[in-house]
Amino acid sequence: MSQGKKTGFHKDILKLQNIEETINAILKKLREDVHGKLKRHGGVIGISGGIDSSVTMALAAKAFGSDNVLGVLLPEKDSSSDSEKLALELAAKFNVKTITENITGALSGFKCYERRDEAVKNVFPEYDPATYKMKIGIKTNPSSKLPPVFSVIIITPDGEEKSKKLHAKDYMQIVAASNFKQRSRMSMLYYHAERLHYAVIGTPNKHEVDQGFFVKYGDGGADVMPIGNLYKTQVYEIARYLGVPQGIIDRTPTTDTYSAEQTQEEFFYQFPFEIMDLLWFAFENSYDPVEVGKVMGHSEEDILHIFDNFKRKNLTTEYLRMSPIRDY
Amino acid sequence: MSEIKVDRKEELREYVKGNTFKESNLIKDDTLIFQEGFFDSMGFVMLMDFIEQKFGVTTEDDDLIEENFESINAISDFIQRKLSN
Repeated sequence: MSQGKKTGFHKDILKLQNIEETINAILKKLREDVHGKLKRHGGVIGISGGIDSSVTMALAAKAFGSDNVLGVLLPEKDSSSDSEKLALELAAKFNVKTITENITGALSGFKCYERRDEAVKNVFPEYDPATYKMKIGIKTNPSSKLPPVFSVIIITPDGEEKSKKLHAKDYMQIVAASNFKQRSRMSMLYYHAERLHYAVIGTPNKHEVDQGFFVKYGDGGADVMPIGNLYKTQVYEIARYLGVPQGIIDRTPTTDTYSAEQTQEEFFYQFPFEIMDLLWFAFENSYDPVEVGKVMGHSEEDILHIFDNFKRKNLTTEYLRMSPIRDY
Repeated sequence: MSEIKVDRKEELREYVKGNTFKESNLIKDDTLIFQEGFFDSMGFVMLMDFIEQKFGVTTEDDDLIEENFESINAISDFIQRKLSN
């Protein structure tokens, strides 16, 4: 056992002990924050048919009443076709009004696609956005202490996948251009929030916040984040309890950002959620790595290496969580 | 040690010290620059670009191991090996 480390780690440690109590505490705080602190009458939520926005919307409907919630669908030309169907099914289930705002035109105006495709073509000159699909990949060697490197993956019209490591300039251009998507969505959500005197209810979960898997002033731009302290497996527990449609619960979480489908695990987390949740919990609560290793079927060395990576991820994404610095 | 190798190491040293956001005078030639947080993921990508532009050495997927990048010494040796091949 490592000295000074917490013990008693087990696989069910994150299971919500009293789900109703957890939900009621969130609802109470959500009402206090939106009504009491922000002085707004209800909430606007961008709904994508994903698990996080679905649970957030279901919680908001319970907190404020369905009549005081608006679900906004914000598709663009790279969005998955399932998203709209699932988001509408969710809204119907919780009697929430919806508006669909297609942001493709706004993104074209920002030259989001053009700027992104220019960088992709620097790597793959044959890339044709009309017929090819693309996504960003992360090359990581789990046993190495080196940070991951980024690649661009294109899928040809014949279904052939090609991948190349990205230079910093091209990587940053692709990310910066793609981030127009989340930031345009944020602008539209604030439009509806302001016209209705509502708050923007953000959808990031605990991993997204702590590990920096969000766009600053994009999906990270919101007034409250009611699931920001919940692990992904807990979000699923609440989804089942609240009756979120099964099609949403069964859907693999994707980034829904690039034209080629990309799971969140593949792009960012590198572990299935049920594993990631436990490891992150053990890391942030300083559990004994020997014990954690035994429970999770890893060596102490592996666990320490994983914890090092978590620490690095949390530190290097601090910029995203920072408010503007104004103590001058 | 050849003069070319010394110059290369000096250029590397200058690059690494000039591009970290941490206290650069703490970096020695054997400092583990990633493990000790002097460079992050973006820093790594930029470092590979620098090596390619400055020394004409392209990093392949198989090269992405600690032994090649963990310190200024390791990077210098990696460049030397690549240039000798």
